[in-house]
Amino acid sequence: MRRRRWACALIVLAVPLLLALLGPLFAGEPGPRGASFTTGGGHGAGTDFVGRDVWRQVLLGGRPVVLAALAATALAYAVALPLGLCGALTHRRWLDELLTRPLDVLLAVPSLLLVLLVAAVVRPGAAGIALLVALVNIPDAARAVRAAAAEAAARPVVEALRMQGESWARTALGCVGRAALRTLAADAGVRLTGVLYLVATASFLGVGAAPDAADWAVMVDRNRTGMFVQPWAVALPALLIVALTMGTNLLFDAALAGRTPRPAPGRERPPAPEPPPADATYPAPGPNEKDEP
Amino acid sequence: MTGLRPWLLRRLLLGAGQTVAVVLLVFALTEALPGDAAVALAGDQPDPARIAALRETMHLDRPAAERLVDWAAGLAHGDLGSSLVSGRPVSSYLADGFGPTLLLATLTLLLLVPLAGGLGVLAARHEGRLVDRLISAVTLGVYAVPEFALGVLLVTVVALRLEWLPPTAVGHGDDLTAHPAVLVLPVLVLLSRPVCSLARLVRAGMIDALAAPHIAHARRYGIPGARLRYAHALPNALAPAAQQLARTVDWLLCGVIVVEALFVIPGLGTVLMNAVAERDVPVLQGLAVVFAVTGVVLNLAADTVIYRCTPRAGVAA
Repeated sequence: MRRRRWACALIVLAVPLLLALLGPLFAGEPGPRGASFTTGGGHGAGTDFVGRDVWRQVLLGGRPVVLAALAATALAYAVALPLGLCGALTHRRWLDELLTRPLDVLLAVPSLLLVLLVAAVVRPGAAGIALLVALVNIPDAARAVRAAAAEAAARPVVEALRMQGESWARTALGCVGRAALRTLAADAGVRLTGVLYLVATASFLGVGAAPDAADWAVMVDRNRTGMFVQPWAVALPALLIVALTMGTNLLFDAALAGRTPRPAPGRERPPAPEPPPADATYPAPGPNEKDEP
Repeated sequence: MTGLRPWLLRRLLLGAGQTVAVVLLVFALTEALPGDAAVALAGDQPDPARIAALRETMHLDRPAAERLVDWAAGLAHGDLGSSLVSGRPVSSYLADGFGPTLLLATLTLLLLVPLAGGLGVLAARHEGRLVDRLISAVTLGVYAVPEFALGVLLVTVVALRLEWLPPTAVGHGDDLTAHPAVLVLPVLVLLSRPVCSLARLVRAGMIDALAAPHIAHARRYGIPGARLRYAHALPNALAPAAQQLARTVDWLLCGVIVVEALFVIPGLGTVLMNAVAERDVPVLQGLAVVFAVTGVVLNLAADTVIYRCTPRAGVAA
């Protein structure tokens, strides 16, 4: 069962990912421009809105989407990890509040709206969009890191390390960070799909990428006018984006299924017998009793 | 229901804090950016006369704090300023786009809750069997797909190949209610992500809730299945879905912008995208405040409903 899910996810993801990463190597030199929105005539998938070969644009257009998404996810975590760890490990309540409350407020603003607001004033390039999307994702990521780390920080072993006088970095990274790693991996998967969504949607709305850029999302937007005569110029990049996002989500789900001791919401339950689920109608146990077996 | 009032008070305070923060944030992002806002806004046509005119209309010679106080005072009175491009008041832009967006959002929300709940309960009832596996696989896959890609593919197949539905809302003006066929695809696309995420959470919560001791006890008393599921288990299953509701509201607001651009519906999203293209800062600010405050209010409402359903789950306030 698990192997089948792996295979399924890999098949869906392989095509867009390989095209995105290796496509530019096979794209070759740009040919002469033909008429707009034609089918056939030496172009396998026809021509786009300015008469360029659609297949060549498809080969070139995956890399910006994938790279921007990866960079934004990495960047968001680079800020969220120290923030979340500080919030979870500090004994000063005001510091925790100071670090997490402003982020709660930021969570209230729709993420796409923030991106659009900034983009309207400064016109960011591809790097700017990655930065913006990372910024938008920091509150949520920091919250996830803090929650995962707070659970690990309440364990007796952390108290023991503290009493031994271990350094903060050793306690935070060596013990708490490692204990929270699995939860964080699950969160990173969710984050990556969210970031992919945001990067692609921003490009579709004309933010970040140049209007004639080789970018799958831009292609969908710009070639929409010729959809009646040349559907491939729209359908091909749209299909690839669907496969890319779907495949990423399926892959992370398959990778995490059966590994998490208590299934996260919506995930397949592990076959092993598990402890009785916490009853939602009873008050939750205190943080110290929570993870004792 | 003791404790509802203090909880509600704290939650309202948080909401008020969020509203104030949103107003500050919108102002900071659009006007207090480092550098000269007028030069940035002139953008592609850095003509000195235009920059001077922009500086004049936006009162950029006055300190930022003073402008913020003026703008915020105007907001409190419902005065959102007027457009840099046309000079029309921002509220008239809002009034123009409000109808179609409200129609889309209401239709989506009306369908979202029963659809997601129904799918989740259905999957949980048949846990591990074909129905469950099918629902789980589809919801997991569709959940991550951007609306525009899904929408474009739907338009290509349903509207252009099969010619069942119109591809866009072009030519129907503002009166969308008279042409329900125009609305089918937009609402479908708008529903895709939130339905999937909520259905998955309801399923997971329902499986946990059905295994809980109080449900087993109720079953021993002979309470019929449907009442057991919907009156005793479902309220508890909604608690984990509650945490996702904040995200769902966010997705709906983003989705509205994309769907309106895709299907050429003259709503608030279209007004917003036009303002972005024309760098019309007052219109942008007004729309951003309206969208963000809507988000805050919807989150507040969702949290309150959930708190009533499962008071001890203690939604964060």
